[in-house]
Amino acid sequence: MRSKLTWMLTPLLVLCMSLSFGQEKTISGNITDQLGLPLPGVNVVVVGTTTGTQSDFDGNYMINASTGQVLRFSYLGQKTVDRTIGASSTIDVQMEEDAEALQEVVVQGYRTSTKEKSSIASVTVSAETIALRPNANFAQTLSGQVAGLNITTSSGQPGGNTQINLRGVGSVNGNTEPLFIIDGAPVDEDNFRSLNPNDIASISVLKDAGATAIYGNRGANGVVIIKTRGGTFNSATRINYLGQLSFTSLQDNDYDLMNAQEQLTLERDFGNGRGAGLTDAEIGASPNFDWSNFFFDTGLTQNHTLNITSGGENINSFTSLGYTNVEGILQASDLKRFNIRNNISGKSENDRFNYGSNFSINYSESNEPNSIGSGAINRNYILGAYQSLPYITPDDYTDGAALLSPLSFANTPLFLLDRLRTYTRKESEVKIIGTFNASYKITDDITAKIVMSGDYTDEHLTRAEGPTSFNALLFGGGANPTSGFQDQFVTRTFTYNQVLSLNYLKTFGKHTVDVGAYSEYFKAHYRRFGFRENGLNPKTFFPGDGDGFITDNGNNDFFVDAPAADILNAGLFSYFGQADYDYDTRYGITGTIRRDASSRFAGSNRWATFWSVAGRWNISNEAFMEGSIFDVLKLRGSYGTTGNQNIVDAVGQFAPFAAADLYLDLFATGAGYGGANSIVPSQLGNTILQWETIEQSNIGLDFELFDRRLRGSVDGYIKTTKDLFQDRPLSAVNAQTILRANIGSLENKGIDVTLNYDILRGGTDGVNMSVGFNGNYNKQENLEIPTEDGTVVGAGSLTGRQVGGPLNEYFVYRYAGVNPANGNLLFLTADGDVTESPNVDTDRVWLNKNIYPDYQGGITFDLDYKGFFVSTQFNYAVGVDRYDFDLSGFQNPNNIGQFRHSRDILDAWTVDNRETDIPSLTASNLALGGSSDRYLKEADYLRLRFAQVGYTFPQEYLKGTGFNVLRVFVNAENLITWTKWRGFDVESALSTGSRQYPTPRILSVGFELGF
Amino acid sequence: MKNIKKLVLLALIITAAACNDAIDIAQPGRLPADVAFQNVGDLQDGLIGLYALYDTTSEIQFNSVFADEISIGFDNGGQGLGNGEYGFVLNPNSAAPNSIWTRNYAAMNIATRIIEAASLVEVGDGEQAQLNDILGQAYGLRAFAQFQVQSYFTTDYANDGALGTIILNFIPTIDQSLPRNTNGEVYGQIESDLSTAAGLLTTQSSATFISQDFVTALRARMAAYRGQYSLADTYASQLLASYPLANRAQYEAMYLDADDTEVIFKLDRTQSDGYNGQGATGSGAAGGWAGANYAFVNSTLAGSPYFEMGRAVFNLLDPLDIRFDVNVDPSSIISPDYQNAVDYRNEDILVIQKYPGSEGVPLMNDLKVFRASEMLLIKAEALADAGSINGASNSTAALIKQLRDARFGTDQPLPTYTDAADAFGAILDERRIELVFEGHRWKDLKRLGSRANRGISRDPLDCAINGACSLEVSDFRFTMPIPIIELNPNNVIREQQNPGY
Repeated sequence: MRSKLTWMLTPLLVLCMSLSFGQEKTISGNITDQLGLPLPGVNVVVVGTTTGTQSDFDGNYMINASTGQVLRFSYLGQKTVDRTIGASSTIDVQMEEDAEALQEVVVQGYRTSTKEKSSIASVTVSAETIALRPNANFAQTLSGQVAGLNITTSSGQPGGNTQINLRGVGSVNGNTEPLFIIDGAPVDEDNFRSLNPNDIASISVLKDAGATAIYGNRGANGVVIIKTRGGTFNSATRINYLGQLSFTSLQDNDYDLMNAQEQLTLERDFGNGRGAGLTDAEIGASPNFDWSNFFFDTGLTQNHTLNITSGGENINSFTSLGYTNVEGILQASDLKRFNIRNNISGKSENDRFNYGSNFSINYSESNEPNSIGSGAINRNYILGAYQSLPYITPDDYTDGAALLSPLSFANTPLFLLDRLRTYTRKESEVKIIGTFNASYKITDDITAKIVMSGDYTDEHLTRAEGPTSFNALLFGGGANPTSGFQDQFVTRTFTYNQVLSLNYLKTFGKHTVDVGAYSEYFKAHYRRFGFRENGLNPKTFFPGDGDGFITDNGNNDFFVDAPAADILNAGLFSYFGQADYDYDTRYGITGTIRRDASSRFAGSNRWATFWSVAGRWNISNEAFMEGSIFDVLKLRGSYGTTGNQNIVDAVGQFAPFAAADLYLDLFATGAGYGGANSIVPSQLGNTILQWETIEQSNIGLDFELFDRRLRGSVDGYIKTTKDLFQDRPLSAVNAQTILRANIGSLENKGIDVTLNYDILRGGTDGVNMSVGFNGNYNKQENLEIPTEDGTVVGAGSLTGRQVGGPLNEYFVYRYAGVNPANGNLLFLTADGDVTESPNVDTDRVWLNKNIYPDYQGGITFDLDYKGFFVSTQFNYAVGVDRYDFDLSGFQNPNNIGQFRHSRDILDAWTVDNRETDIPSLTASNLALGGSSDRYLKEADYLRLRFAQVGYTFPQEYLKGTGFNVLRVFVNAENLITWTKWRGFDVESALSTGSRQYPTPRILSVGFELGF
Repeated sequence: MKNIKKLVLLALIITAAACNDAIDIAQPGRLPADVAFQNVGDLQDGLIGLYALYDTTSEIQFNSVFADEISIGFDNGGQGLGNGEYGFVLNPNSAAPNSIWTRNYAAMNIATRIIEAASLVEVGDGEQAQLNDILGQAYGLRAFAQFQVQSYFTTDYANDGALGTIILNFIPTIDQSLPRNTNGEVYGQIESDLSTAAGLLTTQSSATFISQDFVTALRARMAAYRGQYSLADTYASQLLASYPLANRAQYEAMYLDADDTEVIFKLDRTQSDGYNGQGATGSGAAGGWAGANYAFVNSTLAGSPYFEMGRAVFNLLDPLDIRFDVNVDPSSIISPDYQNAVDYRNEDILVIQKYPGSEGVPLMNDLKVFRASEMLLIKAEALADAGSINGASNSTAALIKQLRDARFGTDQPLPTYTDAADAFGAILDERRIELVFEGHRWKDLKRLGSRANRGISRDPLDCAINGACSLEVSDFRFTMPIPIIELNPNNVIREQQNPGY
């Protein structure tokens, strides 16, 4: 705002002032970097005053000052330049990179360092690649941007959870997702629906033990550090608005599904369902309706973000307001979100005391259907969208009561249509994340610091099945015509984290020493309460309201309500130290050691020690490298350990509290036989439970060459998880068949590669073109399995683990096509002989396949020319195998008359069609196909994950408008996918799921306006 | 700025003091094992918890689906077909063996804990009798669980040298891999528990709790399974003296849980217990309402009966027999000429009504375990075994007539059997309709099939869908496989897997 006003008032001011002093004038100029490229955002201050401004997008600035005053130009990573104002009113500045440091700040956990002096493996993603993208959950945006970070989204629910794994999956049963820290506050890694991605300044992904050991107790799966945006001291007030409108739609499938006529003909030929006995004319006259267009439709999404930044001499602030309204592609799924953020930082005049606070208040409301993925024909909308018969239409629906008799599977879409109208499942959430940090330089070398943070989440769940709904009438039965229920649950969690540290930093000649001592305290509280009201009066029922509640009576127990309440607490305490030594920016070594205690192991092995050592050699800084093609060449190495105390991979608010005291032998009270009170054993304790430990070694090379045209890094790693949290199988005689224990070990080893190359460097008036590649190869291996034969296979499971094999490897007998003689399915025995009746136990073989990719990553391409910009990102994954149980349903003859089919089934074996891969519709061993690899399909893909075209209006066009930034752009997410996978969405973390909510294709337009 | 230093110091002190607050956390509401049972009242609550572990819905499901009690319903969504149970798929991964094995071993473990805790609790004045009765019930329940698991996993009931199941009369440690005991040892253990129970129980009869009569009934059934027919006869006769057969009205009321005339023992099912729900439908895991083993919603045509009564069973039922009324829902669509129906599946819909529901809750009914009619049929077996197959009194024929008289409410003809096999065949056929959907069929075929020349036999139209029409009783699948869930941790039992698996 200030800059705008200044700009408009300047002529007037100049005029007025000239009357009295005649000396103050407007200085303007252009600021460029070493290469002559414009440098936006440079702070320009009149020394000794509070007057200041920043250079604009094209490096131009304008400021009022008097002759003889000094202008100070400062920018992160550049040498500060002072210029005294002389006669000229134009001062152009070419800034120089600060050789000493700060080309790029590298987050090192609790401290920061420069890129040159960093010994760790980490990748930082800047705001530019996160903002402007229409994903409600920013983690989805990270997909394909960081080598080694595998992000899969199994649900298209707006703001839905993503599965995030860094460098493979490091735990069998424990949590496998990285620790997320926002502005110093550790937060729930499964819930980002309330956060505004446009507030993010940078995301740093810490990968090796050298980086993560300092987060010892929670760093085992890597650490993701998110910094939100802030203001700058001595800067003008700027207002920025970003608006975006998106259209989300269902991705395509290749199932080749039948229309009504084909479906009815199939039913007639098979002799089951509505088609049985119909004439050609009757079939031809049948309506034709695609239920996927009913349950899914194009969703509209709006995003608005307004930012205000400003900075004075000793304080600066960033304020952001955000509003998002996302309609899911699935009916009854949406997300509305409102955010306010205020980040303030300040300092004392002498720069010794620094403080800052980051607060965000977020409120979201979302409709999230449940039972997604289930086989409940009256509950899972996705099942209705995919599998409903096309000859049933919405016109067949009158109300829920009419569907009761005859009750027929074929009416699946009508049950679900009824549910859409009568069922509510809504979550509203208040999330407050606050951080306060303060540091004080006790001496020039010693700094004390405190960081306090809290993450408060208050979620209200309302779930109601209306009394006139089909489901309520169905299960209520004649005896209970006012069935229906309403759940209302409040879940509150508060986590508090505090880090105290004392840091010593000193340079003696070529030696720099940085030593820190830290303590960390973490405490988390979980409170949940609510009820299920049974019985709703249709006359006064409204979801979330209690007027329609029916009270218990003496005649029956239908209206007895079920209240629930939980209290759980968890905590961690640690103390640790880190020492870093640098010699002449050529050699460096960092050591970390920490002691951690967890409340989870209070009765067993509470304390554990984790440590790491990391070193580097900045080869390019050696004298002998003078004049080489390398601008940067750095060799890094690290080895260390980190711990995991999240014994079970719980999702959401409950996660820090799950499995709170597995070391205890427990009994529980509750309703027993005949509803009477009872005491039952509830838990067999494991008194030797301890931390799961990941040992990781890493060796890496960072390089920049050909005048920095080619930049990149290569890292190799070996990660070994020891004392894995696994379910030790127990004999049934123990009254429980598993015991969570520390057994076995698992290895992930692989390579991360990041490469960026500037093909064209045309500067502001020319063409700039760059390509980037990031990729990860990861190989898993079970090193040790706690059974005699080194394998574990779950009862009824299609996967297992064997020593030497990957995690969750498919372990099934093999499908070998159709027997031309009789149309039955053929399988292979373990020895490879063909059989129609495999032994489901002994003919299973390890397939060396699983859901996790061997290779995955992204390829980016960016181009800009005079304000036009094009940006694309391709994601790929290779070595992913998933069961396609949706396909299995579309090919299943048992479903004829009830559900929809693929045209594949027309090729089924008959005496006249013996050479086919589709078995006879009456094959006697059809059931055996389900637990073979018949539907195990390759799910490798290459996807145009993101594409963007936009235009930034040049400054000269904006003169006189009052704006200094105007940008318009068009985005697409998931535009094209190349894959053999036939389903709606190739990307999923579920190895055997079906009827899931696919992620959408998104097209959006947006604009950004700044003044 | 001095204050800052003080603040930092203060914060350090607070943190140091607070450290234990973060890591010494006792979660509320926990009941540690060592204080769980302190008095007789606690033990009674433990006993109620033990009863709650007993559930026969898996057995009911398995006997119906794997054997020949049901057919695929018109409203079937792959139940019985997807997992192959209806196609005779039975392997260590199947749900029913898993459920029957784990459920009964859990029960034996908890029963043992209660028995052991009994010696540690404080016994107040006048509480000894109550304590004895609790203990007696715990012994009775342990014997029952051991017998249930035995009856599915041993190869041959009558061979004391054959492999039986693991005897569990102690609290094992988690690293123990226990082998199977021989049948002789297992039966000995069961008899020992039953004798102890008989010495402690103070209740003579109770429909829903373990009583002296329960002990006698289990002894009768065990003796019959073992082929010890004179013992079986003795126990069965003892019970028949105090449990008359239900008349037609009582019989009908019994399946509405409104009459216990001939109920010796049943597992109570009510709205406020843990089994009030649908359970796993179409799976041997079952575990909810018994009726949900056959229909999703209720026991009528509109209740989505995914399994229907097998045509072969239906053909054995006379419409004048009360068992027709009890088992066949009136909303059924009965084809007058089912063999020539155009669309058999939709023109002949035989809806199972054995579990119509109670307390207003559809499909929820008490699980009948021992009834007088079973005792009568055990006695009939004993007589057939002894050669008394025909004659107006003290013969198999006389007892079958007695049962049919009660069920028809009219005098029925006295049957004559050509030989013992014929008599055993008649007993099996009578059991097939008298005990249908109560979890007996597969076991009955296993033990009597060869003597009666019977095997699994479905109507040809019922098995057209997958060709699984019949199975000889000599097939290995008349013994369940030790489930994978036990094979995984127990490497000793791996070597003792039943033949064929």
